[in-house]
Amino acid sequence: MSNREQEYRELFMAEALEYYDAMSRHISELERNPADEEALRELFRLMHNLKSNARAMGYTSIGEAAHHMETVFGQLRDGEATFTGSMVPVLFGGIDTLGELIRAAGAQQEMPDVQRLLDNLDRLTRGEEPNLDDEEADDEEDVSRKLELSDLVYIQVRKLDHLMNLMGELIIDRDRILTLSREINTPALTAAAAHFSRIADELQYSIMDARLVGVGSLFSKFPRVVRDVATAEGKDVNLTLQGEDIQIDRNILQIITDALLHLVRNAIAHGLETAAEREAAGKPAQGQLTLSAQAERDDVLVQVQDDGRGINVESVRRKAVERGLVTRAAAAQLPDAAVRAFLLEPGFSMAKEVTEISGRGVGLDVVKLAIDSLGGQLRVDSVLGEGTTFTLVLPTSIAVKGALLFELDERSYALPLMHTDSVVSLLPGSFSVVGGVLLTRLQDENVPVVSLRELLHLSGDQALAPARKSTLQGRQDIIIVNYNNRRLGLIVDRFLRQQDIVVKAMSKPLDTIDLFGGVTLLGSGQVCLVLDVPALTRLFLAKRP
Amino acid sequence: MKNRILIVDDSFYMRTMLKNMLTDAGYEVVGEAANGQQALEMAIETKPDLITLDVILPDNTGLDVLRGIRQEQPDVKVVMCSAVGQEVIVNEALESGASAYIVKPFSEEKVLEIVGNALQ
Amino acid sequence: MPASDKSAAPDPIIQLIVFRLGQEEYAIRIEQVKEVTLTPDIARMPKTPSFVKGIANLRGDIIAVIDLEERFQLREATEELFAQTYTMAIEAKDYTIGIVVREVPQPLSVPQSAIEQTPEFIQEANIHDKYIEGIARINDRIIVVLDMLKLLTPTEIMQLPTSAAS
Repeated sequence: MSNREQEYRELFMAEALEYYDAMSRHISELERNPADEEALRELFRLMHNLKSNARAMGYTSIGEAAHHMETVFGQLRDGEATFTGSMVPVLFGGIDTLGELIRAAGAQQEMPDVQRLLDNLDRLTRGEEPNLDDEEADDEEDVSRKLELSDLVYIQVRKLDHLMNLMGELIIDRDRILTLSREINTPALTAAAAHFSRIADELQYSIMDARLVGVGSLFSKFPRVVRDVATAEGKDVNLTLQGEDIQIDRNILQIITDALLHLVRNAIAHGLETAAEREAAGKPAQGQLTLSAQAERDDVLVQVQDDGRGINVESVRRKAVERGLVTRAAAAQLPDAAVRAFLLEPGFSMAKEVTEISGRGVGLDVVKLAIDSLGGQLRVDSVLGEGTTFTLVLPTSIAVKGALLFELDERSYALPLMHTDSVVSLLPGSFSVVGGVLLTRLQDENVPVVSLRELLHLSGDQALAPARKSTLQGRQDIIIVNYNNRRLGLIVDRFLRQQDIVVKAMSKPLDTIDLFGGVTLLGSGQVCLVLDVPALTRLFLAKRP
Repeated sequence: MKNRILIVDDSFYMRTMLKNMLTDAGYEVVGEAANGQQALEMAIETKPDLITLDVILPDNTGLDVLRGIRQEQPDVKVVMCSAVGQEVIVNEALESGASAYIVKPFSEEKVLEIVGNALQ
Repeated sequence: MPASDKSAAPDPIIQLIVFRLGQEEYAIRIEQVKEVTLTPDIARMPKTPSFVKGIANLRGDIIAVIDLEERFQLREATEELFAQTYTMAIEAKDYTIGIVVREVPQPLSVPQSAIEQTPEFIQEANIHDKYIEGIARINDRIIVVLDMLKLLTPTEIMQLPTSAAS
């Protein structure tokens, strides 16, 4: 199927389902008030549009059914008939049938037969009584046929969420039972616990799998968005979609919807130039926008890529200094990637103009917050004059996260792997102190290092005390975390292990402390705090000496 | 100089299809309106050479829109888009100054032929 | 309303849960108490006031556990909390919170009339009187009845500054 055919099909489906919802709503209004002119006019119009669109797509039975329905609603609208008696069930049934036809078209399945409906609608048009006895008998037949044919069930996301939560509890119990079975150490118990553990794992993956949807279900909404925004902005944009089949948790897709909209609007409004500007720069007049998804290990990478003007690193650098985010001297030395990361800081905006669609303050920080809330990452790459790429690194599933467990003051803490760069064990000789900050050299980069204990126990407006090498005794276990292109080393007491954890949200009133992304229960029953790397990084930047 | 066309249809699907057909044939689609009100505003704003006008719109009928447009811009060509069974409206539209009509579902050749003729 | 009605008005019985803080007896209305358990494992939480002992897992709910003796300074600074304590899970407005106590709290029924409002001598104690619903005098005992909903607001627990937090 060509791109355009595919696009038409998606447009048709989206609009047909919208029409179907509206028809169902209007016919219910009609049932309450059979003379509701507004509802009659809308029903006529919706049937008319559905008919025209379906015929253009070659969906003959949808076209025929909608045409016959339109005729009856036309008579009702013109006062040649009234919505009463045996007409009511036929028209209700007709809309149900349209819904089935539309869904069958969407699933590319065989269309149910509509001849009986057409006959009855013809009878109504001629002012005759419809044949309803048949209808009932056939209804039963329809039901049994549907049961045989449909391999799909629709399920509310709420129910899947509930299953997922229960699963989280079960995983915690699984770990507890495994711990107990090791302590008690009876062969029968050990075997039963191992079996239970395997089943629980499989159940977990099955539930996670049931929640996965294709990224295409979100991407398919973008041709329309791009068209509308491009029209409003006076830009010529060609949208390419890639990787629509990549699977991701439905709720993650939901959470990134606004972020993606924001990025796409930004790309059109601010990233891509007008046709005249492009031609003047020696580029093809039409701007290219690509929305793509790809799987990378356990993550899903979603990219919004444009071939527009790109980000002017020097003007971002200047602005960052103006905003007081960094000193002039430090800014001059920052690598380009670190400068571009300023774009993601709260309230930092590069938009020079206010446009109808993107509005003022093109807040990339809002996008960043949404991604942070998922434990994901947002990256910006850009070449001046060639374009910009935003990359969203997302977990495939929300509930279970890979984490690194470590010990601090005899308590276990967890750090999401998503934000963990590496772990190193260093002797005091590997550190230097610059401006009161402990630094170590990793892969040709100076990485600041801080004692997590000191960082966590700072009170109120207290700043970190200047670091002294003499306080470091023996080997230091350090976790290198990475947030928004900034690396930071956290000194902990001891590394424990890597583990999949189920994160529970912090409960009120403690949820006001943003340093903790939540808690998890360990197999031992111990409560373990999950640290939030973005908040820790921000705290370090605010409190460094 | 490309001929400039305004598309008026309440179905996004229809608009997209028409726009693609017309753009591919070298016309410039200067706007898309989804209802009568928008159509009247955009006709004044964009001053198109030709308007494709759906006969059934959510807020008023294509005929009202046609009359409104012809009052403001007597020179603009209007091609009515209708489905089978609306011959009455089509006749009325032709009497009210529409140049031609296209019957949905339409083929690309038919659309281009009718639009081309109307613009000559 | 006839005056006779007032004298004939029933004196409702109120169910309290009584517990000891320092040397004094305190109580809360029983409907605010969800359950009493042996204090579970508590994870100390940085960035919280010291009377917030941390968070604990109570039947799958992660709740904050607070120490009112420390909050009201009813214990000598040098004195540690007992090794074995109990936790009362209290229903605050839209969350549950745990309060550690030394001894098993006891239920007590008192007539509404036994609870006096607005006592003045309480000013001497460290408990700000806005948390106090009243004082119950039962024989020789004096029991301070606390208004948990006021005591357990997020602002009180987190001792949040009234201006924007850092």
